[in-house]
Amino acid sequence: MSKDAAISQSNPLRIGLSTRAVPQPCALVIFGATGDLAHRKLIPALYNLAAAGELPPAVTVTGFARRPKKDDGFRDELAETTKQFSRQPVRDEIWKTFAQSLFYHQSEFDDQEGYQSVAKRLEQVDKERGTRGNRLFYFAAAPEQFEPILKNLKAAGLNKPKEGSWARVIIEKPFGRDLASARELNRVVRDAFSEDQTYRIDHFLGKETAQNILVLRFANAIFEPIWNARYIDHVQITAAETLGVEARGGYYETAGALRDMVQNHMLQLLCLVAMEPPTDLGADSIRDEKVKVVRSLRRYAPQQVGKYVVRGQYTAGAVGGKPVVGYREEEKVNPNSETETYVALRLLVDNWRWSDVPIYVRVGKRLPKSATEISVHFKRAPMVLFNRDSTSLDQNVLVIRIQPDEGISLRMMAKIPGTSLRIEPVKMDFHYGTSFGKASPEAYERLLLDAMSGDPTLFARRDEVEEAWAFVDPIEHAWSQKENAPPLCFYPAGSWGPEEADELLACDGRTWRRL
Amino acid sequence: MPVETYSVGLPVEIGQIDRELKRLWAEGEGAMTRASHINLAVYSEEPGSLARNTEILSQITENHACRAIVIAADPSAERDRVEAWISAHCHISGTGAKRVCSEQISFLLEGASVKLLPSIVFSQLDSDLPLYLWWQSDFAEPMDPQLWAWIDRLIYDSQRWRDFDGQMRLVEKAQREAKQRIVLCDLNWTRLVHFRLAFAQFFDHPASHHHFDEIESGSVVFGHGYRSTALLFVGWLAAQLGWEISQALAPETIDLKNREGKTLRIDLQEREGSAITWFMAHSGALEFCVKMAGCGDLLEVCRGARGENHTHQLLPSGENDPVKLVTEELMRGGPHQVYVNAIEKVRSLL
Repeated sequence: MSKDAAISQSNPLRIGLSTRAVPQPCALVIFGATGDLAHRKLIPALYNLAAAGELPPAVTVTGFARRPKKDDGFRDELAETTKQFSRQPVRDEIWKTFAQSLFYHQSEFDDQEGYQSVAKRLEQVDKERGTRGNRLFYFAAAPEQFEPILKNLKAAGLNKPKEGSWARVIIEKPFGRDLASARELNRVVRDAFSEDQTYRIDHFLGKETAQNILVLRFANAIFEPIWNARYIDHVQITAAETLGVEARGGYYETAGALRDMVQNHMLQLLCLVAMEPPTDLGADSIRDEKVKVVRSLRRYAPQQVGKYVVRGQYTAGAVGGKPVVGYREEEKVNPNSETETYVALRLLVDNWRWSDVPIYVRVGKRLPKSATEISVHFKRAPMVLFNRDSTSLDQNVLVIRIQPDEGISLRMMAKIPGTSLRIEPVKMDFHYGTSFGKASPEAYERLLLDAMSGDPTLFARRDEVEEAWAFVDPIEHAWSQKENAPPLCFYPAGSWGPEEADELLACDGRTWRRL
Repeated sequence: MPVETYSVGLPVEIGQIDRELKRLWAEGEGAMTRASHINLAVYSEEPGSLARNTEILSQITENHACRAIVIAADPSAERDRVEAWISAHCHISGTGAKRVCSEQISFLLEGASVKLLPSIVFSQLDSDLPLYLWWQSDFAEPMDPQLWAWIDRLIYDSQRWRDFDGQMRLVEKAQREAKQRIVLCDLNWTRLVHFRLAFAQFFDHPASHHHFDEIESGSVVFGHGYRSTALLFVGWLAAQLGWEISQALAPETIDLKNREGKTLRIDLQEREGSAITWFMAHSGALEFCVKMAGCGDLLEVCRGARGENHTHQLLPSGENDPVKLVTEELMRGGPHQVYVNAIEKVRSLL
């Protein structure tokens, strides 16, 4: 439990009403408040929290950005986009009250004056709205702005909370583009904010089903005893998207699928699947176990990268029956780009539990369907009773569907009714949407509330981020070699990726799961 | 497959219910998923309850897939009779991807057949799922121990009780029969959830806790027939803040003593409107107010110096409607010790 949660739960009137952390009033400042993230995710998330009564009335939001704008104009723009992107219909009377807590502050990110004036404005907000000196800074700006923002926050004294208050910073991905830049960014962050003030967001961790992985594993007695190399044959983690790079060609050219998805989201999911049980549900207990998993990932020697990692790029094809262009024809993309839009990896976690159990990870754009799923493939039943003919039994597979259609399914073998003994796989299926009609909150709702409440459990710690880059860097280095670099493979949009990715599993006598 | 959900459905023989349910699924048109995560039995002795409860369940099953067992009983009927029907409530799932259906089995029990209730409920349960019993009538002796031992959550509405103490004694007896396993879910208490949340949030910061011992007075405004709801609210404050009732001067005024022995007074005022429409507490120069907003489904909360303009916020108020109350209750789960404590504080006034 976070410190703030413990404080709010000392309120005797809360007993029996709410078990989650209740945030204290605070002033949230969003850097890059005119951008897509703020309009599509952050403000709708805050509105939904306010509509559900989960935000204290004194929470205020100050948008900090370059474009000239007044409070009213900012509110009007946000009203429009929130109506468009909120998961619940926007009610005018709630919006009207919520909008009174939205402010706009125009400034360049490198202009110290702007920070001095926002500091004064926040003090005024404290007096008028009761935000009690609590500050939450959200970096939704471009990564190259992080450093000037941090330096200026420090220079304006905004990183230091007044006594009895707190100051925290939420940093969006990408958190660096390699180990060196991540370390440098961590250094710059640490220069202004201590680790317990820093919240590195990975929105995959805010998803209901990602959180449910720990519940599935550690609240059910039947899974943990078989959750190891003795019973598990291999694990597959897939994050497939039908979308291409859309308007993000410029950014994607500097990132690629490995940096954009694997270093953060995929490794976070892998950690939840592979970690040891934590000693308690404290933020650091969980994060200690996660970081051990990343540290245990077997590193690739440069010559092994080509063998165990496949990189691909989509060419023209068709998705959902509609023709689409290839990656090199996308806007703001170099026509000779070597950027990968698909990655498949064969990973090994070198610890007792996972010894020699391969974990296959694939992520890709312009695949036939959008789905993020984890599948745990158990070893086949012994060759004693039913495996005597030429065909062997299928494996039991436990599937955790992260998105969409969140749920869990288990494939098992059953006898086909009849006088002869014929066996077929059947599926037991649990769908969140079927069993619980209530819609899950958006990941950003949960994460914003956690940051306000001082609960960092679902945020990446400094060592997690650096260890993840330490694992990813050798792959990037191998790809960037001028000579003997592993080839970039091509796949038509609408296919399940390059053939080389199938071969990655075929070498081990396995195939990708059909989604 | 019937999709017209307010009908009790197809008449079936009691011994054939399982077979007929299978047939219902086999003959259904289009792809659908049968779902259930609780057994929800509803018992009523009011005339017309079968149709009314079928309508209520068709709405509850939108959010809570369940095996619904609806029982309409008439113990005073001269003739002993048992009739049964089966139906299904189908809804498009939240993701819009599939039709999710819940089964309903309905029974009409007349005369001495009402005593068959436990055997009827037990024989129709979806195995391994918890059993929630929503009891819409008054509890009456003799309480059948067989029935209570199987129930996980007992849902009732004490606002309807004319003899609170007598009814509560029977509920407590049922709990004893069940070795305290039953979780008591009083919809009258559920009505207060949003009001309690709205008032509690004023005191989340420890800096505001000193007000607990400085509250001098308060007033609760409640709608016709909801005095018990208002008293439960007072009971909650008393239980959680360590207040003791010193005397009830009149039905509308209660004097209490706080932990420091100081007297505080709560006024109860009955007016037109929904269950609870207003609560204001005074602490020194400050007032804390929760009231129904003009739109009728939001609460307006405000805190500030007496007589000044306050910053206010709108919060969900919940709805005083059986579907919404039961849905809220099913979402919450957990034990209700705070409810039991609140009852104890105001039991003599209820």
